[in-house]
Amino acid sequence: MSCGRHSVVLAACAAVTLSACGQPRVRTPERPADTMVALLPDPDTGVVGKAIVSSPSGSAALETARASTRVKDNRPPGDVTPLDEADTKALFGEVLAALPPASHHFTLYFEFESEALTADSQALVPQVLQAVKDFPFPEVVVIGHTDTTGSAASNVELGLRRANVVRKLLLDAGLEGSIVDVTSHGETDLLVRTPDDTFEPRNRRVEISVR
Amino acid sequence: MVPPRRVIAGVLLLVLVIAPTRASAAEPTAAGRIKVLSGSVFVVRGDVTTRAALGQALFEADTLRTGTDGRVGITLNDDTRVSLGPGSEARLNQFVYAPAEGRVGLVLDIVRGVIAYVSGRIAKLSPDSVKLETPNAIVGVRGTTLALRVSQ
Repeated sequence: MSCGRHSVVLAACAAVTLSACGQPRVRTPERPADTMVALLPDPDTGVVGKAIVSSPSGSAALETARASTRVKDNRPPGDVTPLDEADTKALFGEVLAALPPASHHFTLYFEFESEALTADSQALVPQVLQAVKDFPFPEVVVIGHTDTTGSAASNVELGLRRANVVRKLLLDAGLEGSIVDVTSHGETDLLVRTPDDTFEPRNRRVEISVR
Repeated sequence: MVPPRRVIAGVLLLVLVIAPTRASAAEPTAAGRIKVLSGSVFVVRGDVTTRAALGQALFEADTLRTGTDGRVGITLNDDTRVSLGPGSEARLNQFVYAPAEGRVGLVLDIVRGVIAYVSGRIAKLSPDSVKLETPNAIVGVRGTTLALRVSQ
């Protein structure tokens, strides 16, 4: 990620000059501020990720379930301590309950050299329609993906063609066109990592995201 | 928080320099939508503050603000989810999700209050491109779920 797309950090870098753009530069707050950060298990999968908390004078890594730290004004982050479940609920239960439901994903495959879905993928269409009913203000995004055979640009187009085939299937099955978008990630989002110009059927797919 | 004049001037200058070279000048596409809402919740877009509505589209640079009884949950286009509890304010400083063009980025500026974040595709594709900023800290995210409380 270059600095050019991050004008605030870029401005901060410009103001400090010569500082490395890759390093997070935290502005010194003009008013007292108190930030508490807690790393939580994913509400759906239970997976615990990782986060780095940086203040103007130091940083701390959160790496375990409910690890938390606190930054007061421009001091370094305080000791990393685990919140217990009761504290987590008292502090964050309400805001966690306001999270929208996680998106629902479906992956569809085509018959070789064809614009027809495999039988297994065809059978997923009713499940997609059911998932749409489960969401408040549903949106459906159909994303075309390709393998790395051919040029990046032609793969963006190929992915879009496949996505449009699936969009038409969904509309024919009764979804309203206004909630179904198509896009293509071409060969940039491989399911199976491969070198360039590699035939890989598992990467030639269409993903449906219902949210 | 009001940034110093120097920084504002710096940002303006950079915007002037960068803006003409940006790839697309097309109409802005929505960054996400409001999916959960209760109590008083407002969207600040430029100088205009309006009451938020369920299903409403949100754009880069929008600010969400909740009243003392407000709660709001949004889903961004890359499946990132964010919610704000009562008395909170956050601005979507940057949202770029164009993986096919190699451009992704998410910067959420948390001004005050209580916020939950669940990472989406941007954090998977490019973890360094996600930043949660508060007045005195920056949180870099390697997934998946974080909760923050910010007071001033």
